[in-house]
Amino acid sequence: MGGSISKMMNKIFGSKEMRLLMLGLDAAGKTTILYKLKLDQDVTTIPTVGFNVETITYKNTKFNVWDVGGQDKIRPLWRHYFSGTQGLIFVVDSSDRDRMKEAKTELARIIQDREMKDALLLVFANKQDIIDAMEGSEVAQRLDLDNTAKDHAWKVQPSCATSGEGIFEGLAWLSHNVKVPVAK
Amino acid sequence: MTSIIAQRPATNGVTAAQNVLQRQPSFSSFPASRSPSSLSMRNNKPTRSPQPATVPESAGSPHSSPNHSRGSSLSAARAANRRESNRKIRSQYPSNSSENHVEYILVASFDIDRGSVMEHQYPAPISGDEHMLAELMLPDQAHVRSQDWTIFFLHKDTSAEEEAKEERRERRRRRRRKKDGQNGDDADAEPESHDDEEGDPEEEDETDDDFDEEEETDDDEGVEGPPLIYVLNLVNTKQDNNAKRGAVVKAMAICTRHSFLHIYKPLLLLALEEYFRVPVPETLASLYNAVNSMDLSLMPRLSPLEGFILQASDAKDMFIEKFDQMIQQRMTEDAERNSLPSSTSSNISPVRQTPQRYTLPRDTHEFESRVLYNGIPIPIKVPTAICPETVGDFSLIKLIQTFSTPHSTSPQPFALHPHLTTSGAYTHPIIVLVNALLTQKRIVFLGHNRPSGEVAEAVLAACALASGGLLRGFTRHAFPYTDLTKIEDLLKVPGFIAGVTNPAFAHKPEWWDLLCDLPTGRMKISHRIEAAPVTEGLLYFQQQQQGGLSLNGSSTGTGASLGAQMAGAVTGGGDSKNAHADSTGDSQFMESLLQSIANRHGEAAIRSKWRFWVQKFTRIAAAFEECVYGASALYIGAHETDAGAYGVQGHGFVWGDESARMRELAANVHRVEGWRSTRSYYSFVQDLARRWTKRPSAAIYLAFSRAVEEAGSGTTSTNLADSEADISTGGMGTMGLDTSLELSPPRPPGEQLQYDTILQLLAVVPESNSGLFYISLGLFHPRADVRVSVVRLLERLVEHPAGRHFWASLGRFAKLAFFRVKREEGGMGK
Repeated sequence: MGGSISKMMNKIFGSKEMRLLMLGLDAAGKTTILYKLKLDQDVTTIPTVGFNVETITYKNTKFNVWDVGGQDKIRPLWRHYFSGTQGLIFVVDSSDRDRMKEAKTELARIIQDREMKDALLLVFANKQDIIDAMEGSEVAQRLDLDNTAKDHAWKVQPSCATSGEGIFEGLAWLSHNVKVPVAK
Repeated sequence: MTSIIAQRPATNGVTAAQNVLQRQPSFSSFPASRSPSSLSMRNNKPTRSPQPATVPESAGSPHSSPNHSRGSSLSAARAANRRESNRKIRSQYPSNSSENHVEYILVASFDIDRGSVMEHQYPAPISGDEHMLAELMLPDQAHVRSQDWTIFFLHKDTSAEEEAKEERRERRRRRRRKKDGQNGDDADAEPESHDDEEGDPEEEDETDDDFDEEEETDDDEGVEGPPLIYVLNLVNTKQDNNAKRGAVVKAMAICTRHSFLHIYKPLLLLALEEYFRVPVPETLASLYNAVNSMDLSLMPRLSPLEGFILQASDAKDMFIEKFDQMIQQRMTEDAERNSLPSSTSSNISPVRQTPQRYTLPRDTHEFESRVLYNGIPIPIKVPTAICPETVGDFSLIKLIQTFSTPHSTSPQPFALHPHLTTSGAYTHPIIVLVNALLTQKRIVFLGHNRPSGEVAEAVLAACALASGGLLRGFTRHAFPYTDLTKIEDLLKVPGFIAGVTNPAFAHKPEWWDLLCDLPTGRMKISHRIEAAPVTEGLLYFQQQQQGGLSLNGSSTGTGASLGAQMAGAVTGGGDSKNAHADSTGDSQFMESLLQSIANRHGEAAIRSKWRFWVQKFTRIAAAFEECVYGASALYIGAHETDAGAYGVQGHGFVWGDESARMRELAANVHRVEGWRSTRSYYSFVQDLARRWTKRPSAAIYLAFSRAVEEAGSGTTSTNLADSEADISTGGMGTMGLDTSLELSPPRPPGEQLQYDTILQLLAVVPESNSGLFYISLGLFHPRADVRVSVVRLLERLVEHPAGRHFWASLGRFAKLAFFRVKREEGGMGK
């Protein structure tokens, strides 16, 4: 709404638009990633009441990134954001092994939803700066991605939201793999 | 049931609080999906040709209300008192009322691990879904702003209390009927009434009170069930490095039955601040006690007509007499109380006994009071008159400007829908909005990155816009702020007005029919909107078009004009000013409205103009129904009026000629048909029927010529009809005077009736529409008797408490003419 001119520009210059949904357990670092992407700054975040949404342009691709609060009570709301989503960013706190099981269950629930069947899956194995953080492969294994995400193109990207390490690499992967540029 | 009744007549704050503790109705933020009230509305749908309900003979003379009697000399005295003009004025909020100003105080916070949770509730837990409430109290994105206001409504879930109330009413009705029957009571009714009196002695007082109340304020409730609970909520986000993850988000809410909930804002600010410091239930309790000790007992109760006139007027001392009288009454009471020995008044606080000083309000539109909170006296201004469907403090001007500015700078075409785009693809967005409201569409106001208070205001303004103070059923289905968590319930509501801040709603056209985006000021009609059904009325007008009802040549036929209208709208866009392109008159209306706003006429003037728009719409709907269906439920008493029962024949809205009439009706076919199956339509029909059966207002249904007739005893009503016809054909059709001059039945009108009659007249000539100017033109009528009649009428107005303000704002030219005619008449007479 209101962006019809920029849409036209995008068509002319061949840029893409992509709707991303960023989910994950509470305190995984979703909002920090969002504002690192948006402002390239390390912002101190407070718990998200509801959601944040920002538009980020990176390498000719305009990303509409939705960051939805992660408390278990509000997780049932996630599905309202599914339709039209081309990429799911699932953020995992790599230092928190205790909650990997919970994360796996939630991820499976999301990615197996009918409305998400065409979505790319990018997993940020976040908080790599913490000593003893799990590596990407361990995260993939603990989330059982070979199984739960077998119908999806997926990637685990180790990241550190506060330093920005790995974040843009993840976006580049999404931008590269998105199939159909959205017309609307 | 009896237990509830026994609880009700609580008299002071303490017992009331205890009562609330015991009474725990269940609340939800949604009306029951199968609302019993709406169901009954349908069942009660009047027949197409409604007859005025026969007024029982006993109710014939204005205030003989026989049910008062019960042998009590007091009620007899009161009944007599009522007949006099300076009858006792009631307070809107009597000090001995059992209703608290505020019913609950709630505090919720956002928990890092659990999401939104309710922390404290005072004086008792609100039953119902606590978690749902906590979510409403912590609106989306509360974390990005330090402070946000929201408003939401609670519906009583349980029908138990409602049933009890209905039962009580029924009992009262029964008793009244019995009284009407003058002790002709049948055997089985006797023991029951006995039972009532014995078992529930307190109820007696209440019954008397309630009866009076019912006469005057029945409009407020009844049809739609129990009143809503309005919730004003303040949420604060405070950065706090000591807290886990660096912030504390807390919200405090006030739940009240007063629609003017905005008055509590300063208190809520202080109390939430206090709660951050002292997060204990006592903080809630002190706020609860402070707001409930607010004294509004000197605020006079106004009739709906008085309320409307007050709202439409800028005069700061309109109805000041009533305030004065309230004070006089209070002073007499105080004097009586002080003179009496303390034996009868043991429970009266010593404060009352010291002689108090009462002051008249500086502006009668607001009643000033104070609330002492934590030792700080906080001034509170309560609106004296509130239209139905007016909740909180919103601005129609703001709403109109939000959506008018983008439309005027770069109009965008709407997707066409017959109910909504009544003037084609470039229909003014505000008209689209009001059409959507009238035809009960699903409307979403979206304010992404805006405070949720802002979307709530827009929703409330929209409700008032479509209501105009006349129609109802909008606020009851409004969700000033809601979010994704409630979407399932929201979608069960047929036709709603919701405010959201989450842009996810924009991506879900299946959830709404009309999306109003506040940041951009654009509206969008959903492509998933249900198509308008083909109706009888529609077919009727289509046949008319095909049959070529071109009496005056095809150019003025309805078909051609409709076509021209569409074509004009599509091609011409905003500049289509010719009459054919604007057959609804809406473009012209919007232009004049925006002109008014530009000229800083103020909120009251704009609301008054909308009221006339809505009124005109209902009258067109009535004319339409009569045209298509032969009769209209929107014109009660049409038969009698046509037969000339009140001195003037005919009724309804008047057009210059037949083709103009058909053109305007044809332009309104779709939205009228869309309106005819909505809640607001049914409740309007019921309101009209009830107003008709209520004696005083039934008689004053705009007694324009009657008032003149009474003023000038020598004049006959035919002359007056003439004078009026002259006025209305002189290009002043827009005044909204229609000829449904249903007059008081031929019996000497009581003083109260005369008073109300003048009010009725004043209500159709608001100061924002030149006031008495058009009437004063009658002073220049070629016929002397008409001029004299107008003088008589104006004399009446001068003496009238509200009329004198209208007279004061009349131009000097007219006043000079008035005195000249008066002089001439005096000269002729002698």
